[in-house]
Amino acid sequence: MATALDHVAWEPCPFEPQRDRALETYARRKQRMPNPALAYFAPVPWFARALVDLHPEYGLLLRLDYEVMDLVQLVVSQENSCRFCYAAVRAMLWAQGMSRARIERIEQDLARADLPPRTLAAIAFGRSQSRTGPAGAAAAREALARAGVGAEEMREIAFAVALTDFSNRAHSIAAIPSRPMERMPEQLHVRLMRPLMNLMLRRSRFHGQRTPEGAASVPPHSRLVRAYEGSPIAAALGRTLEALWASPVLTRRCKLLIFAVVSRGLSCQTCPHEIVSGLRREGISDATVAQVLTHLDAPELDPVERLLVPFARETIWYEPATIQRRVRALREQLAKPQLLEAIGVASLANGLCRLGAMVVDAP
Amino acid sequence: MIRGALVGAALIVLAALAGALYQQWRRAAGLRLQLDAATLELQQLQVACSRLAPAGVVQRLVADGTTPSAEATAERKVATALFADLVGYTAMSERLEPAVLARVLNGYFQRMSDAIHQHRGHVSTFLGDGILAYFGAIQPNPWQCDDAVRAALAMRAALEAYNVELTAEGLPALALGVGIHRGPGLAGLIGARERMEYGFVGSTVNLAARVQGLTRVHQVDILVTEALRAELDPHFVLTPMPPETVKGIVEAVVTYAVKG
Repeated sequence: MATALDHVAWEPCPFEPQRDRALETYARRKQRMPNPALAYFAPVPWFARALVDLHPEYGLLLRLDYEVMDLVQLVVSQENSCRFCYAAVRAMLWAQGMSRARIERIEQDLARADLPPRTLAAIAFGRSQSRTGPAGAAAAREALARAGVGAEEMREIAFAVALTDFSNRAHSIAAIPSRPMERMPEQLHVRLMRPLMNLMLRRSRFHGQRTPEGAASVPPHSRLVRAYEGSPIAAALGRTLEALWASPVLTRRCKLLIFAVVSRGLSCQTCPHEIVSGLRREGISDATVAQVLTHLDAPELDPVERLLVPFARETIWYEPATIQRRVRALREQLAKPQLLEAIGVASLANGLCRLGAMVVDAP
Repeated sequence: MIRGALVGAALIVLAALAGALYQQWRRAAGLRLQLDAATLELQQLQVACSRLAPAGVVQRLVADGTTPSAEATAERKVATALFADLVGYTAMSERLEPAVLARVLNGYFQRMSDAIHQHRGHVSTFLGDGILAYFGAIQPNPWQCDDAVRAALAMRAALEAYNVELTAEGLPALALGVGIHRGPGLAGLIGARERMEYGFVGSTVNLAARVQGLTRVHQVDILVTEALRAELDPHFVLTPMPPETVKGIVEAVVTYAVKG
């Protein structure tokens, strides 16, 4: 079945999948089905786990309806031209009983699709946030409020959008093969198993419970984690960020620089303060930070940073094939875990920057 | 006997109905395929349009189904304008056959567009032998000045390589003049009802064109303004040029030649 993203060029994946039984078990326990794409991210455990832990399906949401979340993920993946995630969400909608005709109708004309106004507002929000990022956050908040979406639900929609942005970048930049996912609904055995898949999906998706407030979180992004206090999102985000900073593959300084560049590229007003403070603690002078952020280079950077700082900028607005070719070129200069971790950090930075502008600055 | 005939007739009617239904089903399937193909084409067109104008503008056009007013799509932005022109084009156009000239120009435009696109620029229009490109007009780009100068250097390198090909064919080598300036302007859909394009207008573009004209005066190929130099990576090698007055601007314009 032809999809709207068939024309999007997609390069071969430069990474070999790596089996990790512990990771497979972890993902299967949470998602109730195997996730073969995770094997590509296995050399960087926090990254692979974040793709499972931060997925809004598994107990992270308190209020947002899962059908709305699916549709938001579909349009955001379409916006980001991520063939893998787009095919995955399409397959998910189909497995849950939505007809192909209805999926196509939603894709083709979202503005006039037979959906409730609040759902349409959430979809429009997903689109605008993926396109404009922090610059359009205030307008996006107002549009959701006009549609009658409350503050808590708004935060959950923002989280679903931001985490789709993260997942889209992770799968697109690493060029995870999309064909198996695209072919899934056409395969006879999958079609026969559709009712079973539906049952499994319904059992694996559940709304979470309010958590005790006061979850500790270290900067940067501590304000963002605090903005979700009381929601299971706070704990999941906090754990992921802690694991990211603890990972020894890239230096903390290098990761902070990636966050700083993405934040600058998105003209984010929320993140820079904590990130620049973090860089100062790493011994980087304000002048060097300014030079890196203005010209994407500085003599004080080490060879890995000099490669990854300009790369981080390319993850903000990109065409999949172009950035996938860039990753292939970088693969010759960096170790596999280094490059994968850089993709993970840059992808998460893109998601969190958009999220920060929506929830930290909210009145 | 009669029963047999009736059963036979009923079977014939059923077969005829089944045949008609099958025909209808096939026709509907064919129409559905055509509709799918047309929808897909439209979606691809929308994506292609998104590369020529900000996605929000394209979405508004599609949603409205009409041409929006300039006020609805225009916004104030700070962007970088790059204006490039071929030196000696008029003389060359008189010497070459039209078909050869068209081939040479197409090769030139393709190479220059690739260099601009690779550095996140957007070619707005081709004006005769001139090229007008913007950086940071469609998507926010805090690195637009460095990008524009890198694009100009890539254009220089691409033209050198192209000249080797042209000379080997016995054709004249091309020379380039590039002017770059950064400043505020109005970005949006500009034009008449019948033909609109996403553009960036204002004195910034005019000054980039004037600075491009100064490349002939200073006998250099890439010139940038003081406003652009102030934002530029100090690693670029620049040479200050004597201030020159240009049409439409009261004060003399200070420019810098880009060496590398």
